[in-house]
Amino acid sequence: MALQQITVAIGGGHELDRAALAALVASLPGLRVMPINHIPFPQVLIWIQFPGRELPRLESDTAVLLLAENAEAYSLPDTVKGLISKDETPEALGVAIHQVSRGEQYLSPSLATAILEQRHAKIQLTDTQQSVIESLTEREREILQLLAEGLSNKGIASKLYLSVRTVEGHLANIYVRLDVHSRTEAMLVAVKIPKSTPAPTAGAVSGL
Amino acid sequence: MAISTTRLAILGTMSDLHTQPISYDLDALKKIVADLSPDLLCAEITKASWEQDDLSQASLEVREALAPMIASMDIVLIPVAPDPREYKDFAPRGGWRQRIVKTFDRLLRWGQMQANDAKTINGFGFGAFCHTVCWLTELFWSSDEKALWEKQNSELVENILQAIERDRGRRVLVAVQCQRLHRLLPLLYARHDDFKIVAYQNL
Repeated sequence: MALQQITVAIGGGHELDRAALAALVASLPGLRVMPINHIPFPQVLIWIQFPGRELPRLESDTAVLLLAENAEAYSLPDTVKGLISKDETPEALGVAIHQVSRGEQYLSPSLATAILEQRHAKIQLTDTQQSVIESLTEREREILQLLAEGLSNKGIASKLYLSVRTVEGHLANIYVRLDVHSRTEAMLVAVKIPKSTPAPTAGAVSGL
Repeated sequence: MAISTTRLAILGTMSDLHTQPISYDLDALKKIVADLSPDLLCAEITKASWEQDDLSQASLEVREALAPMIASMDIVLIPVAPDPREYKDFAPRGGWRQRIVKTFDRLLRWGQMQANDAKTINGFGFGAFCHTVCWLTELFWSSDEKALWEKQNSELVENILQAIERDRGRRVLVAVQCQRLHRLLPLLYARHDDFKIVAYQNL
């Protein structure tokens, strides 16, 4: 059985940046680099943020992963699924590509922290969110707290010794219950959860 | 929500022989695991070492191939080794028993080199050969060494079962030294009500 490779295109930045990034992506397992205008369209476009180079309007379902210097790009186009910092490791880039290729959002921990610091004080939980938080299982609470620390889905899964699919299932469920529509919104709710709030034990599973 | 059945496969590995110029080298091991892309990869490293990011005590397969490879993928590594000891660490440390055990070890390594590829190493024929050589080897271990080996394998199986229990309906690959295969499989078959054991190619 051969691995289904994720197709990745690279745009923005300087030519040397793109070439270096293409070489790095091609060296990671399960990823294949292709031109930006390739048919069928690549599943993921990594766009290197660079002044004067605008993200092109995409006609496909290609998920965009923005390689950013900092967290200034707070209001992102809908097509941008992920924001990855240039100080991340190559492995984190691989995880981010896998994550956005499935339609999940990705946010680098350093960028997440910057966003949280800027927006944290402005957010107030709704009554519904308060009651939902109280009804979260121990496992859901753990996942939300790790999300608030800026961990990727893989990072959360690795901490809890769960599969990435299971974490994503929990997160999808949590988003619906909290009525949030993005990873950033969920993180902003998550940082408001007091760590000492008792959680119901039903459904919780012990660690390894 | 209905939970599908957990599928579990065991992939026998060959320790330092993966560094030899054979088909089943470290690159082949990495390719097999990458192609299978299991949800969970149970591997021979202790939880403490894994959480401290200390690969020095891990098996060569984990240190040189599996851990670096899965870092950029969606595969989650589950550290299932109760302690860092490998098969060779249970052998007598001196005297005539050590010499005999070393002879059997050379025989097993010869067999592994002949088998050469992952499919053969994990096939029935080599399995029977490996089982026989290990059985002969263990005749020359002390009862304490045998008991420790049995205990380690039982604990390893418990850790695998906990991983399955914690996250049902997933595809689980267990990568362990091939000497463990004939210990782990009966223990897992005895407890496989909640999961299905399949050949690694069918995971």
